[in-house]
Amino acid sequence: MNLERLPNEEKLGLCRKYYLIGFAFLPFLWLVNVVWFFQEAFIKPAYSEQLQIKSYVKRSALGLLVWVTVLTTWITIFQRFRAEWGEVGDYISFTIPLGTP
Amino acid sequence: MCCISSFYVFVTWSQIFTKPPCAFILFAYFFKIFFYFSGVGCNSVEKKIYVHLNYTFPCVRLLNATHQIGCQSSLSGNVGVLHELESEENLDWVLTSGPNPPYMVILESRLFTRSIMMKLKEGSGRVAGVVVVAPNINPPEGFSPHTACPNDNSGVYTENYDPTLAHCNATVWNPLGNGLAYEEFDFPIFSVKDDNDTRVIRQCYQDHNRRVNGSNPQFPLCAMQLRSSMSAVTNTATCKRRNDINFSLTPDRVCDELGDFNIWASSRPMNTTTKGHKEFESVVIAAARMDSRSFFFDIAPGAESTASGIVTLLAAAHALRRATQEAPPNRTILYTFFQGETFDYIGSSRMVYDMENNQFPLDLDNIHSVLEVSQVGLHSDSKLWLHSDPVSRKNSSVKEEVEKLVNGLKSASAGLNVSVDEPDVSQPLPPSSFQRFLLARPIPGVVIGNYRSSFTNRYYESMYDNAEYLNVSYPENMTSEEQLEHFPETVKTLTEVATLVARALYVQAGGNETQLANITADPQIVNQMLYSFLVRANNSWLQQLVPTDFTNHLADRPTNFYVGVIQYFSEPTTLVQYMLANMTGSVVNVTQEDCQKQREDKDDDQSKHLYTYMWVQGAAPPNSTEREGFCVRSTVHRSIAVSPAFELHEYTTSNYSTWTESVWKPITGRIFLVASHDLEQLRPDFFFFFFFISVRLTVSLKILID
Repeated sequence: MNLERLPNEEKLGLCRKYYLIGFAFLPFLWLVNVVWFFQEAFIKPAYSEQLQIKSYVKRSALGLLVWVTVLTTWITIFQRFRAEWGEVGDYISFTIPLGTP
Repeated sequence: MCCISSFYVFVTWSQIFTKPPCAFILFAYFFKIFFYFSGVGCNSVEKKIYVHLNYTFPCVRLLNATHQIGCQSSLSGNVGVLHELESEENLDWVLTSGPNPPYMVILESRLFTRSIMMKLKEGSGRVAGVVVVAPNINPPEGFSPHTACPNDNSGVYTENYDPTLAHCNATVWNPLGNGLAYEEFDFPIFSVKDDNDTRVIRQCYQDHNRRVNGSNPQFPLCAMQLRSSMSAVTNTATCKRRNDINFSLTPDRVCDELGDFNIWASSRPMNTTTKGHKEFESVVIAAARMDSRSFFFDIAPGAESTASGIVTLLAAAHALRRATQEAPPNRTILYTFFQGETFDYIGSSRMVYDMENNQFPLDLDNIHSVLEVSQVGLHSDSKLWLHSDPVSRKNSSVKEEVEKLVNGLKSASAGLNVSVDEPDVSQPLPPSSFQRFLLARPIPGVVIGNYRSSFTNRYYESMYDNAEYLNVSYPENMTSEEQLEHFPETVKTLTEVATLVARALYVQAGGNETQLANITADPQIVNQMLYSFLVRANNSWLQQLVPTDFTNHLADRPTNFYVGVIQYFSEPTTLVQYMLANMTGSVVNVTQEDCQKQREDKDDDQSKHLYTYMWVQGAAPPNSTEREGFCVRSTVHRSIAVSPAFELHEYTTSNYSTWTESVWKPITGRIFLVASHDLEQLRPDFFFFFFFISVRLTVSLKILID
């Protein structure tokens, strides 16, 4: 979808929709929001809806950052310590590697 | 690589020329034909690159409650540059100074020692694997990969029983044991026979990998890939848990428990359907073990450690057949062959457990005494030693019974070529199945062996414990028939031992001493059994004793005594079963149909509680080729030999054996030439370069057209 052909109100509506639905454990929607609307929010010359679009983009970026931190921490801990957790580690794994602990 | 990049160029160019579309289709067809040709060519190209190794024996991973032992390779196989080790000092090339690690080390059997293997284990980053060349003659200095104190933690000698006798404090039974089979290695170790394959390997090494005039060998070098990827890790509890997880995406079996069946027969029939204690039944157990192992998987010739005991006990059972039928003694003799004893007494611990839980036709109170036949093959001085347990002898009634048994053995040896003696009174029992019975009750018993205070067997539980070690050899140019008529020296000595055991058992069971002169073992039978176990099971004598559908299980090589996992039958178990049926049973005139239905005639439903009926194929009469089968009625039964730990699902217990064997991916080995890393890196570099050039060209052409 080419954003340049949309009127500003629709751009704002799209940005808000992506922001709100991203709360349903969908951080990739926030990533899309940030990447897609970055040019609209910060590079383009100012227009009436730009302030709200900017706030939505900033909040999406913040949410995205939180998700990335949480997931990275959990993934690092799991990959590092799963072998030591023995039974618990096996029960929360979908695929257990063969031949290595 | 080249065809993929050229395909890409074709596709990108054809995208530019989208009109006419037939040009693209034309290119696609040409490409497909080109690919098919190269696909057909790929098969024979593989044969030109790789030489597959055919007869390899890997070392596999085994696990118990606390450890994992054995070897492991990466999932697709470990690749390493070949290096023939000349001496222990030459290890320096492999571990530090060689320029092309990782190395695949080829060892002669004289270099397969603990010190070299431990050093290789430390340098694991540079060692990709080890290949041991199995020699055609046994190494004279002896070799035993088992531990110095076999079955240390599973016998009766623990700190509670007697701390001075635990952990081989009193005497070390296997002094040559280097414990290699119980170490863990993270690279594959294979054994190859010294034959054509090995010649190819050595030739490849000579041609490409040898240092010439002190300069390093140049690429391309000869490399080997060994694949023995084991799925199980850590210990039995972990691998059993991973077997049972059922919400995983890929439920794989990772390990299987070791086990098989014990074989037992009674000299007098008893009701086997009723389990638990039997009133008025007093039993003398005559025990022997049926299994062995070596460092490598599926090689376990076990001549002195296992076959000597089995053959002796079978021959004794045969010698006793007439006496126990015509002048039956007071007590019943129970001939028992235990499977899995190498791995912490799987068979005997299970039988004791079954007896304690009323799962066996007898129970522990029915046992009067135990006589076990341990390693009896070699005699340097024709002397046998009678081992007994000093701790239980402190009880006066047990002491009296043991002394009676020993005296029975001593008097039975009079007039025979073997003499018996007792070792030091404070010496403990050697590793034997009798220890598991002692763990449950203080039963009087004796273990017969040809060793006084440490094994005379120089190759205990190794691949060298074979027919050659027992001096059982048959001239090569004889046919199988003729070989069965020729008696090696060992046969005569084993026959004497079998006679001794038979007479002692008869006296111990309360038989009349006047009958003893009639009890003698038959050297012909001993010879045939030894031949079947140590040389070839597929021989004319054994073919007569087995049913028709079993004949293709008879191997043309020495018996493999490894107990194996419960899913696969172990070779010696069925051989012993049919031999014992023939030795102790009798031929009955019963039709084949009735025989296979375990009855004497249509209305008989009592015999199946007492006897086992087997229809065996017999021999062909002289003027015909059809074999005449017959029905053998015997008291031979199988009892399951799986560790009680797996019944009780206690995988971390130290009371029972917890040994399991890992499941593995296909085991292969192959040799090929490898190029230097720079050359290998050149191809993907070239591909990516080509790829980006064509993308750039496409983009710029597109811009031009637009």
